[in-house]
Formats: sequence, C-alpha cells, structure tokens
Amino acid sequence: MAEMNWLTLALAKGRMLPPAIDLLEKAGIDCGSLREMSRQLQFADDRNCLRFILAKPADIPTYVEYGVADLGIVGKDVLLEQERELYELLDLKIGLCRLSVAKRAGSGDFAGGHVATKYPRITERYFQEQGRQAEVIKLHGSIELAPCLNLAEAIVDLVDSGKTLQENDLEEVETIARITSRLVANPGSYQVKGERVGWLVASLAAAVAGGESETGC
Amino acid sequence: MNEKLRRLLTPEGVRDLLPDLAEEKRVVETKLQEVFRRFGYREVSTPAFEYAASFVTASAGSLEEKMYRFPDERGRMMILRPDFTVPLARLAATHLAGESRPLRLCYGGSIYRHASGHVTRRREMAQAGVELIGGHCAGSDAEVVALAVTSLQELGLGQFTVCLGHVGFLQSLLETHEINGKAGEQARDYLNSKDFVSLREMIQGLPLTDFARECLLQVPALRGGREVLAAAAKLVPGERGEAALAVLDEVYQIIDDYGLARFVTLDLGLVRDMDYYTGMVFEGFTPGMGFPLCGGGRYDNLLGFFGPEQPAVGFALNIDHLLVVLQRLRELPGGRKLTFVGYGEAGRVQALTLAQDLRRQGTGVIVDLTVRPREEAELEGERLGAARTYYVPGNTMVLEGEAILDG
Repeated sequence: MAEMNWLTLALAKGRMLPPAIDLLEKAGIDCGSLREMSRQLQFADDRNCLRFILAKPADIPTYVEYGVADLGIVGKDVLLEQERELYELLDLKIGLCRLSVAKRAGSGDFAGGHVATKYPRITERYFQEQGRQAEVIKLHGSIELAPCLNLAEAIVDLVDSGKTLQENDLEEVETIARITSRLVANPGSYQVKGERVGWLVASLAAAVAGGESETGC
Repeated sequence: MNEKLRRLLTPEGVRDLLPDLAEEKRVVETKLQEVFRRFGYREVSTPAFEYAASFVTASAGSLEEKMYRFPDERGRMMILRPDFTVPLARLAATHLAGESRPLRLCYGGSIYRHASGHVTRRREMAQAGVELIGGHCAGSDAEVVALAVTSLQELGLGQFTVCLGHVGFLQSLLETHEINGKAGEQARDYLNSKDFVSLREMIQGLPLTDFARECLLQVPALRGGREVLAAAAKLVPGERGEAALAVLDEVYQIIDDYGLARFVTLDLGLVRDMDYYTGMVFEGFTPGMGFPLCGGGRYDNLLGFFGPEQPAVGFALNIDHLLVVLQRLRELPGGRKLTFVGYGEAGRVQALTLAQDLRRQGTGVIVDLTVRPREEAELEGERLGAARTYYVPGNTMVLEGEAILDG
C-alpha cells in the first residue's frame, strides 16, 4: 500500500480518548489496538490504512501543524488558545463542556482583578474585549484552588457538570465558549490527500449523526 | 534579554543561513529563474523599501497591518517591501508602460511582514515569482498555473497539488443567496481558513431558505476534477458565478492540454488573503506542510492604481517553505567536491598557477595559506574534506602535472 494512501491521526490521551475511540469505531474504524491500554503511543488500522498517535491534548495542534500527523482530534479550547494554521473540518460533538468564568460563591460581581487559568490567551482576549482589566495568572492544574487560597478572585476553566466548582465553593458566572472536540487537518495533507481525508470526514460525520459507514482504502 | 545576548542573536522571525542551507537556497533560486526564463519571462528587481502610500492604496488593506513602516531622513513614510506584486504592477505601469503587451516579468528576493500568532513566524521570507501583464484571460491564467506546476516539478517535488479556484464564484454565490455585508465577509473568512465548523454554525444561524443554506454548505465539498464545475453550477451561483465557472473550465482544459491536469485540483472554496485578486486564484500544497508552497491569481484592478487599467495574473513561490520540504526529501548538497593545493618553500608560483587553471575549468580549489611540509598539507586537505590534494614541493622547475603529487 503506497504511503500516499495512509493517514495519520493524532488523538489526545486521557479523558477525551474513550469517547473518541467510540466515535471512530462507530465510523467503522478498527480501534482494537488502541483499546488495549498499553504504554505504546503508536497504533494502526491496516484495513483502513490509518495510523494513530497518542499525545497530550495541547500538543495535538503542533503534531498536525508540522505534518507529523495529517489530522487530529482536539478540543476547541486548545484550538482557541493556540490559534494555529489548521483546517477545522468537523465538530465531533464529543467532550461537550463549557469554558467559563467562575468566582467564589456569594462574592460580589467580578469587575476585574486576578484570574487564574490554564488558558491565558483566551482569558486575556475575553476580558480585553469587554473592557475589563484582568491580571492573568497561568496555572497548569487544580485551578479551582486559586480563589480558596486568595491567589485570584476568579478563574477561567472548563466546566462539565459543575460539580468540581461546587465542591470548591465556586459558582459559574459567565460562559466564554461552548467546547467540543473537533477534527482538524494539516492544510497540505487536506489538499494533497483530498480523497482520503474526504472519506474520513464523511465517515465521522455519519457516525456523529448516528449512522454506520464502510471501509475506505 | 540582556544587551550582550542581543548582540549575538538575530531577532525572532529572521535568521542567518549557514553554508549548506544558503547554498541550497541559491540552487533553488537559480533553478526557478531558469524555469521562468524558459517560459519567456524576464527578470526585474525592485527596491527593498518604497513609499508607504503606493502600498496602502494598492493593496487595499489586506497587507496594511502587516507592513514594517519607518520614516526616512526627511520624515517621509516608507515601507519595507511586504509583497512583490504591487511593486511589479507599479513598475509595469510606469517604466514599462510603453513596452508591448503581454509583458512577462519575473523576480526573486525577500519580503517582510509582521509575524502573527504566538508561534514564531518568519518576518523575512524569500520569494520567487512571475507576473504576466496584459494578456488574454484564460490563456494567461493557465500559463501561470502551468509555470507553477513546472517549477515544483523541476525542483524535484514528487507529491504536490495545485488547488484552483475563482474569487468571482464565491462573491456571486453569496450575493445571489443574499448573504451580504458582514455575514458575507465572515463566510469568506471561514472558507479562507477552512474553518468549516464555524461556517456551518454561522449558516445555520442566518435567516436563509433551506435551499440557500444547502447551497452554501456544499461549497467546501466542491473539490476535485472537472466534474466539480457541473456540481457548482447547480448551486445557482448567479451570472458572474457562471462566468467564473466558464473561465475555470477553459483554464482547466488548457492545463490538461499541457499534460499537467493530474497536478491540479479544482477547489471552489479557495479564497486567498489578498484583497486585490479579481479572478482565478491558486495555491500549491504538499502533504505534511501546513503552509502553501506557492500561491497567486488574477488581479485586474491593481495596475489601475498606477496607470491605465490592465489585466494581470501572477504567482510567487515561497522559498523558505520549499527548502523545508526539499530538506526532508533529500540530503542537502553537503560533501562539496573540492581540490586542495598545498606547497613547499618556493613552490607557491606553481601552486597558485595550478589553482587558477583548475578554477578556470570550474573546479573548486582551496589553496593553502602558508608553506607547509607535505605530510602536514595532506592532513590539512583531509581535514577540509577535499576530494583531491595536490602538493607542489618547490625548488624545482616543474612542468604542469609533473612533480605534483596526487593526494
């Protein structure tokens, strides 16, 4: 099988992986090797000429932009934060959550001040556009702790059920964006491997809509 | 960054080219100019900086935020060349106004633009390209696309696609379905960045008929061979849209007659960044490369800013992106075929004569800079990676080739 026919797809490790695998399988792609939860980071579906790479969510756009992977599945939050030159082909409607502003429950309206977040660029842009002054504090995790420890008055983070917020005595006050996982493509791969990419987009679109599809190479 | 470091480094977005890469760049540039010459294009050169006013009016805003501006010693606003098409249009409309048309011009050099995004982007980029001014529409469009394809072939690229679109198709389609003003601009932006998710969301949110909505959602799928044109006509693109499809049909036919259709994909959702395009547009891609290798199109209104209106079409190749792809495809030239000439006491005259003779024949020769014993000279030749080493011991009258030792 010529290399031209193969597509490499970068997937995010962690919480986003199981729903992505479910969707790929619904689209008729063999993810048996992916399900075997080994420490391996590369897998293949020979029948469909697909290779998979597992990576940290924030690194997926890099892999795709530099062409290591032709395509990637990544959250809109990461795309908004990084602003890469990628083609956003399809909303996969998995990993549904919100990117929100939260503050300590019962405290006054957040008019400005320190905001802790994993998303400094989105946060800065959001408050700037509204003419509010916010000093962004970049953290890599446990964002909910920041208000409790008086490190920040508010946070910007992903919210799913809101349970984590509640447990930390925080309330969601504004939604910045609705987040889902997206199928993104390297522009060169999209253009040159047009037919193969078209097949994958159509298969995944059908799976998102709830249908089944056929093999593609 | 402290002052000491700043003295040693180049600013982000610009770079020094070291021997292998600089040589490869020169090879690529020379080859491209040669391909342009074989198509009858003649090289011109324009200054690195010009009056800002020429650019600001002519490029109609699309480059406005990306230009480096500075006042000259008399306080007049200058810009560092952000693009070659505008200066070539100026040159063609002024100095070459009297030359017969069509006019075929080519160029090579650096352009300068502000970096955008948080990843370091190049601020100085090398380009080579052509402009074809005052020629018949479809014939010129096809020639320029054929020249782009031939350039990429001549550089040894195996897998690449040149996508072909037409700005008139999309404009007319949007107008016909009454998506005007800001929504129209937004739709074009989303198609330009191929953000189909946002495009879909936006179209779902507009007060449109189901038919109009369906037509617009089809645009990203209008990619492929000639059959795409028939599919596009079904979306009711309006009169100008149909005219655009007719042009693309003719251009595609000519490219097919060149025998190059297999390198071309029609893509009716293709939109380019520059506002000055008025007709056919195209971009070249290779797998795994996130940026176009080349791009261009028709700009029939640009020369009107400098003189009488004249139709024109052109394209530029992005040398920096090409170098990245070529580096992945093959080893850089590296291992230069050099000859080393060393000499002993009083051997210098013969050594230098020999070196000059060899150089005249085209051989690369490094001459030792000082007198050395033979063994040391041989070691020096080895250290330099010379393919051959000659040694002229001196104190002997030698005929050429005699008493000269082949290392």
